[in-house]
Amino acid sequence: MNCGLCGKEIPADLGPGDGKSPCGSCRGGCRKIHCPYCGYANPAPGKFLRKMLQKNNEEKTDE
Amino acid sequence: MAEQQQPLPKVVLVGNPNVGKSVLFNVLTGAYTTVSNYPGTSVEVSRGQCEIAGTDYEILDTPGMYSIMPITEEERVARQILLQETPHAVLHVIDARNIERMLPMTLQLIEAGLPIILVVNILDEAKRLGMEIDLQKLQKNLGVPVIGTVMKRRQGLPELQQAISEYASVPHKTFTYGSDLERDVTRLATVIKGDYRFSKRATSLLLMQKDEDVEQLIVTGENTENLELLQTLVRDVIFERRADLHLQISMERKKICKQMLDGVVQQTELSEKEPFAELLSRWTVNPWSGVPILLLVVYFGLYKFVGGFGAGTLVDLLEGNIFEEYINPPVINFVQQHVSAEWLFELLVGEYGLWTLGIRYAVALVLPIVGTFFLMFSLLEDTGYFPRLALLVDRVFKKIGLSGRAVIPMVLGFGCDTMATMVTRTLETVRERIIATILLALAIPCSAQLGVILGLLSGVPGALAVWLLAMILVFLLVGLLAAKVMPGEHPIFYMELPPMRLPQLRNVLVKTLSRMQSYFMEILPLFLFASFILWSLKMLNVLEGLIGALSPVVRAIGLPVEATSAFVFGFFRRDFGAAGLYDLQTNGLLTPAQLTVAAVTLTLFVPCIAQFLMMKKERGLRVSVSIFVFVSLLAFSCGWVLNKILLTTGLLA
Ligand SMILES: Nc1nc2c(ncn2[C@@H]2O[C@H](COP(=O)(O)OP(=O)(O)OP(=O)(O)O)[C@@H](O)[C@H]2O)c(=O)[nH]1
Ligand SMILES: [Zn+2]
Ligand SMILES: [Zn+2]
Repeated sequence: MNCGLCGKEIPADLGPGDGKSPCGSCRGGCRKIHCPYCGYANPAPGKFLRKMLQKNNEEKTDE
Repeated sequence: MAEQQQPLPKVVLVGNPNVGKSVLFNVLTGAYTTVSNYPGTSVEVSRGQCEIAGTDYEILDTPGMYSIMPITEEERVARQILLQETPHAVLHVIDARNIERMLPMTLQLIEAGLPIILVVNILDEAKRLGMEIDLQKLQKNLGVPVIGTVMKRRQGLPELQQAISEYASVPHKTFTYGSDLERDVTRLATVIKGDYRFSKRATSLLLMQKDEDVEQLIVTGENTENLELLQTLVRDVIFERRADLHLQISMERKKICKQMLDGVVQQTELSEKEPFAELLSRWTVNPWSGVPILLLVVYFGLYKFVGGFGAGTLVDLLEGNIFEEYINPPVINFVQQHVSAEWLFELLVGEYGLWTLGIRYAVALVLPIVGTFFLMFSLLEDTGYFPRLALLVDRVFKKIGLSGRAVIPMVLGFGCDTMATMVTRTLETVRERIIATILLALAIPCSAQLGVILGLLSGVPGALAVWLLAMILVFLLVGLLAAKVMPGEHPIFYMELPPMRLPQLRNVLVKTLSRMQSYFMEILPLFLFASFILWSLKMLNVLEGLIGALSPVVRAIGLPVEATSAFVFGFFRRDFGAAGLYDLQTNGLLTPAQLTVAAVTLTLFVPCIAQFLMMKKERGLRVSVSIFVFVSLLAFSCGWVLNKILLTTGLLA
C-alpha cells in the first residue's frame, strides 16, 4: 500500500493490531496505519478489503 | 551451498520499492535462491547465486529503501547490509521514469564509497512517456557504470553481467556541497581515524544527521581519545546548525542531481495526459490559483456533496423515511409489548435510550454524512491532492509570516495520536510542548468529526461560511502562536510530491469502506456507552441538575436550554454532540444563528474522551485538566463573541 499523503510505499507487514503497528500512542487497537515516513494516518483495510486491494495491485502490475 | 570454502564475491541489489529489484534478482539468479531472515531481525532477505563469465557470485536482494538514512526496520536492514557486507558490486536499481527523484540516493551511495553500478530500469515505460535518457552522458557525469535495462524482458542483461564481471573499483568522484557544509564535513572527516565500510565523508554526513547506527559504529571504531574529540565536534556542528541541516543536505543533493541530469533527460512531446497533470499540479500549489481551487473543492466536494447530498438527501431518506416510518415504529412497538419495566423501556427507546440515541444517531445521522465525507476525502487523497494542499497551506502561511507547520496536520486530519508524537518528537522545551498540546486540543484534529459538523451546517445557508471563517481565524491564530512559540524554520515539513493522477475507483472504494468501517467500530460503542451514561444520570435524577448547572452558560451564548444536552453529548465526542444539534435543528428548535454559534463552540471544544486520555498519558493529569478547562473556556468565549457579533450585525438572522 502506498501512503495517501507522501506516496511512499508502506511496508506490507505494517498493519493494525498485529503488534507491528508503528503507532505508539493509540490505545485499544489503533485501526490506522501510520506512515513511517510522514506520520499520515492511512486507513487500515480489514481482511476482506485488503484482499481486494491486493487484487487491484496485481491487476495493475500484470497489464 | 553452505559449504563454500571461500566466500563468493557478493553483488547487492538496492533501491526504492517497486523498481524491479526482485525481477532483476530472479533474472540473475534463476532457481538457486533462499529466503531467510537477516540475522537479528524479522526482515527477509533473498540470497541466490549466479555465474558470470566463469566466476560464481552471491546475489543479495535487499528490502526497498528511500535513502541511506533509514526510518523503517526494512530500510535499516538494507542499510545494515551495506554497512556490514563487503560487496564486489552494489547495483542501485532505479525506475527510469522517476530518475530525478531516485538519483539523490545514487549520490549518497557513491559518496559512501560503495562499488556502485547504476541500473536504470523500466526504460520501456519511460520511452512510452516520451523520455529519452542519455545513459552515456550520465555515466560520464556520475563516474560510475550506468546500465539501461528493461528487466521484465531481460533487455540489458548481458551488458549488466559484463559490467558486474568487469567491475574495477576506481576512486569515486566527489560531489561538492556548499562551502559551509563542506567545511563541517571536512572538520569531522579529518578527525575520523577508524576504518569503516562507508567513506569518511559519508560517515561524517550521517553523524551530522544523528544517525544512531553510525554513532554506534564509531564507538567501537575509534580509540577512546579520538572518540571523545569526534563526539564533541559532532555535537558542536549539530548545535550550530540544528534547524536546517537535513533540509540543506537534501537541497544540495537535489541541486547536484540537476547538474548530473543536465542534458541527460530529453522530454520529447508528451502524451496528452501528462502535461495536464503537471499543469494542474502546479496550479494547486501556487497560492494565486491554489486558493481558488481549494475553494472550488470545498464548495463542490464539501458543501454540495457532503452537505447537500449526504446530510440532506441521504439523511432525510434514512432518518426521515426509513427510520421514522419503517424501523422505529415496529421497534418501539415491540419494546412496548414486551417490556413492562419503566427503567428498561427508558434504557432501550426512551429519550436517552440506546436505540434512540446510540443506534439512530450512529446509523441514520452520522453514517450517511461521514460516508459521503469519507468518499470525497478518499477521492481527493487518491488523486494526490493532499500533499499539494499541505504545501499550499505552508506557502500561504509563510507568506504572511505564520507557521504553517502547526496547521498542516489539522488541515489534513492526521490522527490525534500522530500529532502528539510529532509534537513530542520535534519540540524541545516543556513549555513549547504544553502550548502545542493546547493548540492541538483546540484545533479539530479529527477529520471525521469535522465532516459531521460540516454536513450539519451545510443545510443552513450562510452558517457554513461563518463557521469556515471562524475556523480560518482559529487556524491563523494557531499559526501565529506557533510562529511565536516555535520560531525558526523547522524543516520537518518538506516532502517530494508524488505524481498527480486520476483516482482509481477500487482504491477509493476500499479506502472509503475501510474508513467507514473503522469509524463506525469506534463510534458505535462510544455512542452506546454515552447513551447508557446519560440514561443512568437521568434515572439517578442527576442529569436535570447537570443540565440546570450548565444552562446559564448555554444561555449566555444565546442558545436555548435544550441545546445543553448536545454539549453534554459533545463531551463524549464532538460528532455525537453534532448529531444532537442536528436533531434539535430538524425539530425547529435552533435558528440559523444559534446553530452556527453552537457549531463553532462545539468545534473548539475538547474533541473527545479519547483525546483527553491521550493528553493525560502524554502530559499528566494536572496539565491535561488545566488544558481542558482552558480550552472549554476559550470555546465558550468564542461562542459568546460570535453570538454578540451575529446579534449586533443581524447576520444570519
Ligand atoms: N514496464 C516494466 N515493468 C517492470 C520492469 N521491471 C520490473 N517491472 C515491474 O515492476 C514491478 C515491481 O517489480 P519488483 O521486482 O517487484 O520491484 P522491487 O523493487 O523488488 O519491489 P520491492 O519488492 O517492493 O522492493 C513489477 O510489477 C514488475 O513486473 C521493466 O523493465 N519494465
Ligand atoms: Zn507517508
Ligand atoms: Zn494510531
